[in-house]
Amino acid sequence: MNPTSHFLKETNLDSFVEGLMKTATVYAPVAKKNSFVFSPISSPKEVRLDYDLTILPPKKAIFPVHQELVAFGPAGASSSIKPEPRILFGVHFYDIKAIDMLDLLFRENNVDWNYLAQRENTTIIGSNIQNVSKRAFWATVGKGVKPRGHDAFITKLKEGYLFEVLTPKGEKLLACGKFMPATKAQVEEAEKINKEILDKCPEKLSHGSHEIAAKVRATFKSKLWDELSRTCFSCGTCNIVCPTCYCFDVQDNWNLDQASGQRARAWDGCLLEDFAKVSLGAGACENFRENRGQRYRHRLMRKAAYLNEKLGGPACVGCGRCSAQCVPDIADPVRIIETIMES
Amino acid sequence: MPRPAEIVRAKQITATEKHFTLKMKDGQPMSFEPGQMLEVSVFGFGEVPIGYASSPTRTQTFDIVVRKVGRVSGAITALEQGQTLYVRGPLGHGFPLDKLRGHDILIVAGGIGLCPTRSLINYILDRRSEFKKFTLFFGVKTPQEQLFLEDLAAWRESKDVEYHETVDRADEKWKGNVGVITTLFKKVSVDPATRVIICGPPVMYKFVIAELDGIGVSRNNIYVDLERRMKCGIGKCGHCQINDKYVCLDGPVFCFKEIESLEEAFR
Repeated sequence: MNPTSHFLKETNLDSFVEGLMKTATVYAPVAKKNSFVFSPISSPKEVRLDYDLTILPPKKAIFPVHQELVAFGPAGASSSIKPEPRILFGVHFYDIKAIDMLDLLFRENNVDWNYLAQRENTTIIGSNIQNVSKRAFWATVGKGVKPRGHDAFITKLKEGYLFEVLTPKGEKLLACGKFMPATKAQVEEAEKINKEILDKCPEKLSHGSHEIAAKVRATFKSKLWDELSRTCFSCGTCNIVCPTCYCFDVQDNWNLDQASGQRARAWDGCLLEDFAKVSLGAGACENFRENRGQRYRHRLMRKAAYLNEKLGGPACVGCGRCSAQCVPDIADPVRIIETIMES
Repeated sequence: MPRPAEIVRAKQITATEKHFTLKMKDGQPMSFEPGQMLEVSVFGFGEVPIGYASSPTRTQTFDIVVRKVGRVSGAITALEQGQTLYVRGPLGHGFPLDKLRGHDILIVAGGIGLCPTRSLINYILDRRSEFKKFTLFFGVKTPQEQLFLEDLAAWRESKDVEYHETVDRADEKWKGNVGVITTLFKKVSVDPATRVIICGPPVMYKFVIAELDGIGVSRNNIYVDLERRMKCGIGKCGHCQINDKYVCLDGPVFCFKEIESLEEAFR
């Protein structure tokens, strides 16, 4: 469908969010101590569209940190997947790009219905970036990859909001608020706002995706990986906060009755020591990525090179979460890539 | 969702390996290719990837062999005839039968690498006329680790397969070859146009490939059956990645030429 543009008065935002809450569980950015998180909201007052970055990416509303897949008991096993209507409200463009990548990766080859069931029941409303986080580099990563897969996009204007409808799912949202047709001036103002913010990123990549992918791939055997990862704790934080990471572990758990239980999956990370380890029996094991440097390299290969062909660009959207949350501060893709490009 | 399969036969075949014959409870035949695998689970313990150990030419039931090494395999090997396992599959890509038909075949199996290759061995034996000369090497550490003793006895006598076996360390009763699996290459002449399948412990591959390079077998004609840690079995969870390949999706059987440049494939 052709996108349509609408205007929402500042004073009508809360009633719009209230309207959304009547149709679905709404996940939006809310303040949590000195950070922001995506969380189901109970009041429009909680919504903070002025957030800079959330601790975890909004993918958790579709691909939860811990997800029960199967319930089992003496009578047999049944699927635990029960999707509910959800609206993700206020997603920045870089996180929209990340969800679009997950959509492709979970859909390709063998379809992962444990993901798609909730994805198909989720409506995504993007929002413009009002404040920029300290380690962001979204303006210079994967420039050729446009945000896709969202249903609507809201931009804060000097006065009020421009609300762009992109899909039939997005169009249904118009019934939740008091919208007016947008003027040409309002549409142009929103365009300008979304364009100008791109100049505000504190970190920048100085090369294009193709060039980076080729050079990163060619440095596979370099000593750089061991050097760069020398202070890595193998804690996996860079994986856990990443919007494009989607690896998971599957575990069975018993209930207290010891007769029933659940099979569940949980986010996993390739930086963790056990990620590629297999048991050989009698206490022996084989770890296919035994050293920190190998695991550290694998993450960057996945972000900058391995998936590029499939995704049309790197599997990194420049949110800067890994850079900001890595304790020894060695996970920043910009610094790693710049070091490699100069090597 | 995993589907229930009844254990119609269970037999402990070595100190650690148990051989199961399974039948789907819904009565559907399991259709698969040699070299493919399935996820086998016991609810409450978990799921593990296992290769089919029987040939798809024998369709009413299918076989798996499970080595007891951890929590899940411990739970599986504790089960007996009449009990239920849950399975998902077939998964992955098996041996490329189209590229093997009409050629000399050499299978090099080390240890429990004989389990997934048994699927192909029996397939070839059941359709013997489709293949030319068929040679099989099987090596284990000690005679006690030999599997499928009835099969081995049959293969020793068979005119359909030139079977050679070895052990790394012999005992008093052992009268056959002693030494690592590559010592068997001295006993046969392998035509350079032979299609070769290798399946065994990680350490075995590079030595066998070095022998094949010496003979002049093209790396395009060498197929390797690899193992990695696996969880989902459908190319999502990430554990089995070798560089940008997923073993569960792109493999577990790979043409050696296609993965020899992958730094993480062999060590």
